[in-house]
Amino acid sequence: MYDVAIIGGGVIGGSIARELSRFQLDTVLLEACAEVGFGTTKTNSGIIHPGHHSSPDTLKGQLVVRGNQLYDSLHQELNFGFRRIGEIVVAQSREDLPILEQLKKQGEEKGVPGLEMWDKARLQREEPNLSHTLLAALYAPSAGVINPYEFVFALLENAIANGVVLKVNSPVTKIEKREKILLLQTPGETLSARFVLNCAGVFSDKISQLVGLEDFTIHPRKGEEYMLDKRLKGLVRRLVFPVPKASTKGTLIIPTFDGTIMVGPTAEDTEDRYDASTTYEGSDRVFQFVNKICPSITERDTITEFAGLRAVSSTNDFIIGPTRVPGFINVAGIQSPGLTSAPAIAEYVRDILIEEGLLLEEKESFNPFVASPPRFAMLGLEKQRELIEKNSLFAKVACRCELVTEAEIHDAIDHGARTLDGIKFRSRAGMGRCQGGFCSIRCMDILAERLNQSFTDLSKRGSNSWIVTEMVNEQHPKMREG
Amino acid sequence: MLEMEQYTCTNCPMGCPLQLTHEGENILEVFDYQCNRGLKYAKQEFSDPRRSLSTTVAISHARWARLPVKVSAPIPKDRVIEAAREIHQLQIESPVKRGQVLMSNFLGEKDIEVVALRSMERIS
Amino acid sequence: MLGRMEGKYDVVVIGGGPAGMGAALGARDSGSERVLILDREPDPGGILLQCIHSGFGLHYFKEELTGPEYAERFLENVIDQEVDLLSNSYVSGISYDSSGSKGVHVMNEKYGLSTVETKSVVLSMGCRERTRGAIRIPGTRPSGIITAGLAQKFVNMKGVLPGKRVAILGSGDIGLIMARRLVLEGCEVVGVFEIMPYSNGLTRNVVQCLEDFEIPLHLSTTVAYIHGKDRVEKITVAPVDEKLKPDMNRAWDIPCDTLLLSIGLIPENELSQSLGIKLDLLTGGPQVNSTLETSMPGVFTCGNVLHVHDLVDFVTRESLLAGQFAGEWAQGVRRPNDNIRLLPGNNVHYCVPHSLSPEREHTIYMRCQKPMKPCRLHIGDLKQKKLRFVVPAEMIMVKVKPELLEKFRGDTLRIDILPAEEKTD
Repeated sequence: MYDVAIIGGGVIGGSIARELSRFQLDTVLLEACAEVGFGTTKTNSGIIHPGHHSSPDTLKGQLVVRGNQLYDSLHQELNFGFRRIGEIVVAQSREDLPILEQLKKQGEEKGVPGLEMWDKARLQREEPNLSHTLLAALYAPSAGVINPYEFVFALLENAIANGVVLKVNSPVTKIEKREKILLLQTPGETLSARFVLNCAGVFSDKISQLVGLEDFTIHPRKGEEYMLDKRLKGLVRRLVFPVPKASTKGTLIIPTFDGTIMVGPTAEDTEDRYDASTTYEGSDRVFQFVNKICPSITERDTITEFAGLRAVSSTNDFIIGPTRVPGFINVAGIQSPGLTSAPAIAEYVRDILIEEGLLLEEKESFNPFVASPPRFAMLGLEKQRELIEKNSLFAKVACRCELVTEAEIHDAIDHGARTLDGIKFRSRAGMGRCQGGFCSIRCMDILAERLNQSFTDLSKRGSNSWIVTEMVNEQHPKMREG
Repeated sequence: MLEMEQYTCTNCPMGCPLQLTHEGENILEVFDYQCNRGLKYAKQEFSDPRRSLSTTVAISHARWARLPVKVSAPIPKDRVIEAAREIHQLQIESPVKRGQVLMSNFLGEKDIEVVALRSMERIS
Repeated sequence: MLGRMEGKYDVVVIGGGPAGMGAALGARDSGSERVLILDREPDPGGILLQCIHSGFGLHYFKEELTGPEYAERFLENVIDQEVDLLSNSYVSGISYDSSGSKGVHVMNEKYGLSTVETKSVVLSMGCRERTRGAIRIPGTRPSGIITAGLAQKFVNMKGVLPGKRVAILGSGDIGLIMARRLVLEGCEVVGVFEIMPYSNGLTRNVVQCLEDFEIPLHLSTTVAYIHGKDRVEKITVAPVDEKLKPDMNRAWDIPCDTLLLSIGLIPENELSQSLGIKLDLLTGGPQVNSTLETSMPGVFTCGNVLHVHDLVDFVTRESLLAGQFAGEWAQGVRRPNDNIRLLPGNNVHYCVPHSLSPEREHTIYMRCQKPMKPCRLHIGDLKQKKLRFVVPAEMIMVKVKPELLEKFRGDTLRIDILPAEEKTD
């Protein structure tokens, strides 16, 4: 029996798992997909918000500032890429100016550090490539960027190193209440746990229904994002926001942690919980908007696009807390600023568990550190030589667009990659301009060899996402008669 | 009875549309060709259309799973799929040299062979 | 010698495809002794190794060969000429000092990260395929959307199929050739969809790869939506209007498990850009003078990294020349600067090289923007050439003799393709 079962291996489940791994507990994390971070997390914009955008009257508004602060220490311990690049909210019209003032005031009351109002001249000096029609900007230096998937990988790796059990391909299909415990059914097994944490993202209402709770629903809100060619690196140095609207923080210009520029997201309600589609309308909307703020960005710069779902709840706020079902705790409705809040949510849930009677004793053996994955492309010549001397696989380039070596592909597999996407999000192989045209086969060679599988067994991201199929000699029914 | 066939000339990228009239197997006239190569092409397509064929066969103990091969001369167009099917039955053991004959008397035609397109060394 | 990299070189060639091998031979012809090819793949030959169809070599070898045969015969010449060739080698950068000598940084499992010294360099890294992102096809993001070239490698070298029921977007030659390959391997090819009103591939391929197998080619039609959660399940295709926007009222769905993309090639100039070499936005390749030298002295270029070719024979011709000049440069020969700039005019998408010198004869390579027939090619006022037709799929070549250029008094020579009746102004 486990003390705690966490349903969902996204940034929320991962943050909680890592927090709980400090204590003497038996914790299991159940992930429905082939790897962790493959749901909403993978498509998140990767922004660590300063916190002045959300009202202090909401739970999300309360957790966000604390979450932002916790990133420094997490970054030091877990070695995922994180940089406080700062953000600016830009005023496009006179009507926007009072909103900037109001945001500044709200931020200051919430303790957001370093907020500054920039006039037109300052804005043009700091971000010369933005439109010269912009009137002013509110600058927040504490905004940062991360690669959200790397963050989850690091969280889970550290959690596992400290004793948490991870089970992938384990969607929970049934939950039974027993006296003092809950029984969880997955396709492979039945598990029991004293506490169940529902961190199932866009499926969290469905999970909640498994124990008979109907008190909230999730209404996925889709966001499309467009990744631009890396030759635009440096065009914009800070996160650029328009003044916020009701349903969204608007379409943004995001210099990602890797320096490439991403634009988006859109905000479109959808009923389909698997809807990861991009659309003509979405792309037009994004580029028309972005073009007004930064005229030199056009849709022709796109190298890839994707979409993700925000798990917006019927209360439009985070839903975190115990339920009528003893032991079943919701951590649901985690929409923006969910990524920023995640470390604070983990603390918050830890305290709920204590209140609910779970005894937490710190583990002396807890090791908070994770080594960063090797990033050959980011190193200087000398460091590169050192790595190659230690391991000649560093001299074999697998992905030339992003300069990823075979040693890094092996490292990704060592750290849990089981699919092509797993390799891509861990090592960046296939993320560049050719989008895997050149490196896919090399990555598949290595994956097949390491997993002792054939090409036809491999997948893009698990389940039915097969990549190639067998060459069927002659007897194939579709073969035309000569 | 007079009948008409239409072809697209493949001799050059211009791709002239050609028309050929015939009575049974007798060619009467070719229309719309811009050069003699077009005339010749239409006649050949009518009387004995042929195609070259390349495909691959399984090879073991080599760097790659497949060895590319070709049929040494064009074969009748309507036998291309049958020919590919027959070639695919081959199982080759490395090493192989470019030009090595893998099948002879192919499709019952005396001078037609199936040959390797590249050399592949043996890798254990 | 295969697998050797030793000492200093006269010419280092980056890329071991047909362009790189041609350049190495050209450099040896010029009298340069020490020539090295660095290739990132395990076997030299580049993309030719997966192009198993015939149609190569008619100009150069005077016989019709397949890609692998062309590559291997070339490789034999390279070995004969005692060129050094190192496979599995990735060039991460090039440094240079004021003397003009260059250091090529190369990563190789045997040699580690080393720097090889050379006098001149030839860039011949080839090109890559445009991807889904480049044209932003709407829809889901399942597995099963791959470029035609990757599919070709899967089928012809790895012996696996990209899927069983395949649609092809774009009528580039690789896509057409893959349509036939997949049918021969037992797949069903449901159709080829081309957004333009004409095919981007050669007529021969349309006839022999599609018509022979009754594969429909839908012109002025594009893929407007991709469906499927984990794997492609179907596509929505739609005819396009004059602005190339899909007309969704006339769209229809086609079930398939794979979408192959054959939507164009882009010269791969990451390395060139990292050296600060000036690129031509029209070709995507470096700007070159008439010796195929880039904006960086002593760095030459040829093949698909310079501009995308449709025939390997022309790659070879261009590469032999680039190698010759690179070899001369290494021996200290400095040609006079070009004094005539070329300017693409009416219905000329681009021309290569970008400048000429009256010193010698030149071949100008160019591509038109749209089909036209019959037409007349105007090299400024110097020369006119009647052309029965031009199509974007076929590169146009024209020779210009030095006598003509000597007469020319301006500094910019405009090239136009005009309908045969009209005259240039």
